[in-house]
Amino acid sequence: MPAAAHVLVVEDDPHLAAGVVENLRAEGYEVSTAADGVQALEWLAAHACGLIVLDVMLPGMDGFGVCRTLREQGNTTPVLFLTARGDPADRVRGLEAGGDDYLAKPFHLQEFLLRVRAILRRWDWYRSASATAATAVLRFGGNEVDFRVFRARSWNGEAQELTEKEAMILKVLAEHAGEIVSREDLLERVWGYDVFPSTRTVDNFILRLRKRFEKDPASPRHFLTVWGVGYRFLGEDGP
Amino acid sequence: MKATRVFQLTALALVVVAAVQVGWWLYDQHAYTVEKVLAARDAYREQSAAAQALLAAGVSAQRVHELLPGIVVRDGRAVLAAEIEQALKSEERHRDNQYAWEGSFFLLALALCIAVIARALRAEARVHEEQESFLALVSHQFKTPLASLQLSLETLALRAPPPQGARPLIERMLADLARMELMVTQILESARLERGRVELRPEALPLAAAVARVLAQLEERARQERIVLTCDIAAGLCVQSDPLALDVVLRNVLENALAAVQAAGGGRIEVQARAANGEVQLTVRDSGVGFRAADGARLFEKFTRLHASAGHYGTGLGLFIVRRMMELAHGRVSAHSAGVGQGAQLELTWPAAAAAPAAAAQVGTS
Repeated sequence: MPAAAHVLVVEDDPHLAAGVVENLRAEGYEVSTAADGVQALEWLAAHACGLIVLDVMLPGMDGFGVCRTLREQGNTTPVLFLTARGDPADRVRGLEAGGDDYLAKPFHLQEFLLRVRAILRRWDWYRSASATAATAVLRFGGNEVDFRVFRARSWNGEAQELTEKEAMILKVLAEHAGEIVSREDLLERVWGYDVFPSTRTVDNFILRLRKRFEKDPASPRHFLTVWGVGYRFLGEDGP
Repeated sequence: MKATRVFQLTALALVVVAAVQVGWWLYDQHAYTVEKVLAARDAYREQSAAAQALLAAGVSAQRVHELLPGIVVRDGRAVLAAEIEQALKSEERHRDNQYAWEGSFFLLALALCIAVIARALRAEARVHEEQESFLALVSHQFKTPLASLQLSLETLALRAPPPQGARPLIERMLADLARMELMVTQILESARLERGRVELRPEALPLAAAVARVLAQLEERARQERIVLTCDIAAGLCVQSDPLALDVVLRNVLENALAAVQAAGGGRIEVQARAANGEVQLTVRDSGVGFRAADGARLFEKFTRLHASAGHYGTGLGLFIVRRMMELAHGRVSAHSAGVGQGAQLELTWPAAAAAPAAAAQVGTS
C-alpha cells in the first residue's frame, strides 16, 4: 500500500527537519513536511499518509493540539511525537492526545528509524488484517464491529466509537478466537517493541471492551480472563 | 513553597502566643494597680478613722488637718481630700493607659518584623522559581540544536556518504554549533541584565553612525537574500546611551528584521529616525512575515519565537535583551504588525542627547 510508506514530518527547526527527512527518504519512505501545526492540518485535510512525525513545541498550535484536532476529526493516522521535554508527565500528555509513540530530543537515529518502522508495521498488519469483507467486520453476541472505520454497534443497539488501541486489541483477540493470548503478546502486537505501558494497561483496555460489548461486564462471556496468563476471546457465547 | 508554609504557621503561632502574653501581662498589671490603689485607700480610710477619733476627743479640725494632711473636716466629719481621691483615680487610669500603649506597641513591632521577614522570604522564593523556570527553558532551547547535531553525526556514521554528500551535513553541524554558541553568549548576557550587573555609561552618541556600522555588517547577507536596506537618519541626531548597549540593541533589532524578511523570501527594511519632545525615535519597518497583533508584547519575553519559517534561527533571547537594554537606557521599545504576512514595525525611543561628543568636547575646551 503506497499510502502506508508516506510520512509527514512536522518540525519547525529546519536543520532537524532536513535531517529527519533525508534519513526517512534514504530508508525508502515518501516524505512531506510542514513547519507548523496549521500547515500540517491543512496538508492532512487534502492528503493521506501512513505516519505523522510531530514535534511538540511548535509555534502557534502545539503538537498535542494538532493531534487532538486530528483525532476529533476522525483522522486515525498514527502519530510519533518528538519533544525536547522527556519527563513522564509530558509523555502521558502525548498519549492522552492520541499519540502512538513518543521520542525525546536528542534521539538516536537508529532508534527513531526503528520506531517509525514498528508503527508502520503495526498499522500495515492491522489494515491488511481488515482488508477483506470477511475480516473487516466482526460479529459476536449481537455486537458488530467495523474495523475499517473504528465503529461498532453493541448488542443493545448503541453506537460505539472505538479508539485505535481498542480496535487493535479486539483484532488480535479475534484473530486468535478461542485461544489464550498473553498480555505480553497483546502489548507486543498493539504497542510494539517499546513496552512502555505495563501489563495493567492491557487489563484496563479489556475492561473497556467488556463495558462496550458484554451484556454483563462483571461476568463476561466473550472477553474471558485466564488467570495468570492473559485473555481468551470467544466469538460465540461461552459457557 | 513548603518552607514558606512552615514559616507562615510559625509566625502565626508566634503572634498568637505574643498576643496572649501581652493580654495576660495587661491583666496582671491592671490587677496589680488596682491592688495598690485599694491598699492606698485602706491606709487613707484608717487615717480618716483616726481623724474622726481625734475630732471626737476635741482636737480642732485645723489641728487634725495639720497632723493628717490628706484629711479634711467637712460638717464635723473627717473625709479624704478631693484632690487625693482624684489622684488615686487618675493614677489607676494612667497606669492602665500606659500598659495598653506599651502592649500594643510591642505587638505592632512584632507583626512588622514578621511582615518584613515574610516579604524577604517571598521575594527570595520568587527569584528561585524564576531561576528554575529559566533553567528549564534554557535546557529546552539547547535540546533542538543538540538533537540536530546528533542526527547529522549519526547520519554520517550510518550512511557514510561520499565527501560531496557529507558537505551539507557538516555545514549544518557547524551552523548548529554557531547557534549554540550564540545562545550561550545571549543567555549569559540576559542573565547579567536580569541581575542588574551590567554597568552602562551613557553618553551622547550620533545615531546615524551607529546604525550605519551595524548595517554595513549585514549588507552582504541582505544582498544574498534579496533584501533592500534603506536608511534615513539626520546626521546631527544624537541619543543618550551606552555605546555597547546601543550596538547590541541595533544589531538584535536589525538581525531580527533581516530574519523576518528572509523568511518572507526577500523584501525591504527601512530605518528612519526623528527627534520629538526631547526624545529620539528610531523606526525599523520591514516587509517580513509579521506577527499577530496580539503577540506584540509577547515578542519581548524570554524565549518567544513566533517565526516557524525555514532559515530563522532565533534563540528567543534577542528581543528580550533589547527590551532590558532599552529599559536600562531609560528608553522604550515597542513592536507593531498588522498581522501575519503584513510586515512589522519596531520603534526604539531614547532620551535625546544635547550634542554630539565632538561638539561637547569643543564646548569643554573653549
